[in-house]
Amino acid sequence: MTRIQLVDDEPNILSSLRRLLKPQGWQVDTFTQVEDALGALLEHEYAVIISDYQMPTADGVTYLQFAKQKQPDAIRLVLSAYGDRASMIKAINQAEVYRYLSKPWDDYEVVAAIKSALDLYQLHKENQRLREENDRQRAELKAREEELLRLEADSPGITRVRRDADGSVILNHD
Amino acid sequence: MKEAAIAQTENERLNAKLEQANRQLLQSEKLAAIGQLAAGVAHEINNPVGYIYSNLQSLEGYLNDIFRLTDAVDSARSLEDLQLIKKNIDYDYLRSDLKDLLAESREGIDRVKTIISAMKDFSHIEDEEFKPADLHRGIETTLNVVNNELKYKAEIIRDFGDLPEIDCIISQINQVIMNLLVNAAHAIEEFGKITIRTRHEGEQAIIEIEDNGKGISPENLNRIFEPFYTTKPIGKGTGLGLSLSFNIVEKHKGRIEALSTPGHGTCFRITLPVNQPEQGNDG
Ligand SMILES: Nc1ncnc2c1ncn2[C@@H]1O[C@H](COP(=O)(O)OP(=O)(O)OP(=O)(O)O)[C@@H](O)[C@H]1O
Ligand SMILES: [Mg+2]
Repeated sequence: MTRIQLVDDEPNILSSLRRLLKPQGWQVDTFTQVEDALGALLEHEYAVIISDYQMPTADGVTYLQFAKQKQPDAIRLVLSAYGDRASMIKAINQAEVYRYLSKPWDDYEVVAAIKSALDLYQLHKENQRLREENDRQRAELKAREEELLRLEADSPGITRVRRDADGSVILNHD
Repeated sequence: MKEAAIAQTENERLNAKLEQANRQLLQSEKLAAIGQLAAGVAHEINNPVGYIYSNLQSLEGYLNDIFRLTDAVDSARSLEDLQLIKKNIDYDYLRSDLKDLLAESREGIDRVKTIISAMKDFSHIEDEEFKPADLHRGIETTLNVVNNELKYKAEIIRDFGDLPEIDCIISQINQVIMNLLVNAAHAIEEFGKITIRTRHEGEQAIIEIEDNGKGISPENLNRIFEPFYTTKPIGKGTGLGLSLSFNIVEKHKGRIEALSTPGHGTCFRITLPVNQPEQGNDG
């Protein structure tokens, strides 16, 4: 199931976002404490992590940097009431956030941003899967090639057996 | 004789000019402080406005669902149909969440109201006269205005005694308290504690604002009330906060003093007379 993490020190913000996201059918985990959110990173795999910027114990960017180390695949977003340039630049450069959303937010915009973050996450996952598949196939191919070389070395010509259209081996050399 | 009289009027003229310059400085410091606060207050308001706005949109969705059910009362063929709709719209969830949605939104509106009225209280420029005022209320107003500068830096501890009403210009006293609170927050590196203490001692009211921040070294302690003395980077501090606070407290016939242990924290103490002596014969 698609899992999303929301971190904000204001519980009412979390409730309203949970309401907003409920119809989407995602598993939404909310945290008012950065420490708890960190703990959850060890237990679940998140597709998207959204954090507030200003929070009492750690700022959102520091948290997202942490999250990036723990779960590099999760797509990171900031939702902040604090729209100064310095904080945005920090978020982009240090935590590589995908979107910087501002409060008050537009419901549609938040949902759309999460959806496209999820698409990106799926794409990364799919890429990763394809790359692994590719690696696996390549390894298989290489093993087969080596086997052929070994056979050829044992009995020269064996790998060049000619076959008829119906697959039968042609024995006569002309 | 005549010369003395001229010197006297000249002196008075200069004094009046100084007084006016001081007033202007006070005013511009106040405006600067309000400007600096505006950003923080915007942040404070954006949070509740953010969730109230979003909640209203969720509410709209809930109502549409509920209307679907009530409209079906006329058109449904059977009770089962109605029950099916009721189940589909997750009626039980709607019902219980509606209560939370409204309570949380109301809480948000109250928060915005408090901030706005604190800003209003705080920026009262017109009443520049001494009036009996409730210092605790002034402190709460000020806390609401600077909440955004404080909440990420410190836990606020109130240790309030019983205070009578104090003869003062409350908007100016609020400004002193704000300067002290903001300084305290700036002195804390990570997350600390700011204690606000009040008590009534004889004819005096005492307010203390104590932090567990980095403290002030003894050689700097003598300089903090000087105008333009600051250890903060350009753009962060003008060095006027404490000198203006000093002027305000002096004008109230009170005292302001600082005790500090470097590495442990600082305590500012303001002592104000409960009743102002008769005005007029001061120099
Ligand atoms: N609570 C405190 N703890 C440590 N140092 C303090 C404290 N309060 C004041 N100071 C020191 O005193 C200096 C002067 O304070 P003051 O409030 O006058 O100016 P400022 O805070 O630097 O600038 P501003 O004009 O913005 O208030 C500060 O720069 C700081 O070095
Ligand atoms: Mg100051």
